[in-house]
Amino acid sequence: MKTCIITGAGTGIGRATAIDLSNKDIFDTLVLIGRNPQHLNETYAKMNKKKDIRKIIYDLSDLEGIPDLISEIYRFNDRIDCLLNIAGTADPQPLLNTSIENMKDTYTVNVFAPFMLIRECVKYMKNNSEGAKILNVASTAGITPRPGWLSYSSSKAAIISMSLTLSEELAEYRIKVYCVSPGRCATALRKKLAPDEDPSTIMQPEEVSNVICQLVSDEERCLDGQNIVIRRKI
Amino acid sequence: MISFILLAGGNGSRMNQPVPKQYLLLAGKPVIMHTLERIDDIKDISEVIIVCNEKYHDLLNNYISSYMLRKKIVYADAGSTRQQSVFNGLKKVTSNLVIIHEAARPFVRKSDFELLINDEAENITYGIDIPFTVLKANNYINGTLKRDELINVQLPQKFNVSSLLMGHMKAIEDNLLFTEDASLLFHYGLGQIKVIKGNSYNLKLTEPMDLILGEIIYKEYFTGRD
Repeated sequence: MKTCIITGAGTGIGRATAIDLSNKDIFDTLVLIGRNPQHLNETYAKMNKKKDIRKIIYDLSDLEGIPDLISEIYRFNDRIDCLLNIAGTADPQPLLNTSIENMKDTYTVNVFAPFMLIRECVKYMKNNSEGAKILNVASTAGITPRPGWLSYSSSKAAIISMSLTLSEELAEYRIKVYCVSPGRCATALRKKLAPDEDPSTIMQPEEVSNVICQLVSDEERCLDGQNIVIRRKI
Repeated sequence: MISFILLAGGNGSRMNQPVPKQYLLLAGKPVIMHTLERIDDIKDISEVIIVCNEKYHDLLNNYISSYMLRKKIVYADAGSTRQQSVFNGLKKVTSNLVIIHEAARPFVRKSDFELLINDEAENITYGIDIPFTVLKANNYINGTLKRDELINVQLPQKFNVSSLLMGHMKAIEDNLLFTEDASLLFHYGLGQIKVIKGNSYNLKLTEPMDLILGEIIYKEYFTGRD
């Protein structure tokens, strides 16, 4: 049973991806991770129930529990084929208002949790004879300056660098590491970053999930190891 | 079933690094782990004997745990010579056949080990042609050698354990030192040794420059990346 783990599955790009993948013939089992039970249930309600779907309520800021979380998923499914690190957080502040707590909280969800999830998943993925895939959702904020978004944008720069590094480091295991950087996308997180923006005028989560689904499909073999910008021009 | 001795007792003095070369990083992974990971799912290997200095046991145990290796691993003490290290490893072997490899040769594929295992011959070494001229000399040339009669001996090698142990005992009695085990076995006439053609990627990391070359070899030979 090909298994894919999706973090941040309760809202935004994570939800759109979970729904999209439930309608595609890529994975048999989808493991949805989110911290809000109601949001996860809303995602689940919109998914194709022909898939084996598991919902796990988990707050990724609890880093210490991640090894047990992943070993439990592996024990239950007997394999892990794909990890989608989509969960993210933002608390945009100017430098002089940015506390160390802000930096720590943002990095915990945006960098440290993906690192832990990847490390723990790779322990199992590396024995997959047909390889595996990891996809990290970064942001265009990680590649261009965004005054006032210090913790968020720098954390996204970190995940881009982590993705490129791991793409090389994990190549011998046939684990492909992808990184996508969406531009402005109508999510709850974007609302925090740009509260005055009309969400209907910008890219929708489904447009990002469409790209993610293409990247994690079996046919895609050439786009790993680079930061792929997803941006709707008009 | 076959045992596997991994020689990791070198101190890496020629590398000019604070730790021996087998613990330096190659493509982001400790050199010794490249071999240990590749043999981990070879079913015919029943046990792995790592010959190393005791002070590195904790470090290795930590790596083995992190990389979730499944093979049974035991340690043997490194000797003051390579020959003594092999002998210490041989004393821990429980199978009739053994593969001997050295941690400083991380560019060996799983299939290269399997080729040794699946070959019916009991004593085998990898070897490659010598593309340069070798002469006998001290300060002056004092002899010639025919290049087409020579091979550059590479590890891994496979041996009959009883024969090799006997050879080592004789070498101790005779106070003779050999730089590798095909020479030792041949010297005492303890069995025919087959040569399988190796390849030039199987570089032994020795000098600092080898780590630079090693990164290139790894990308080309193991990941096929630009």
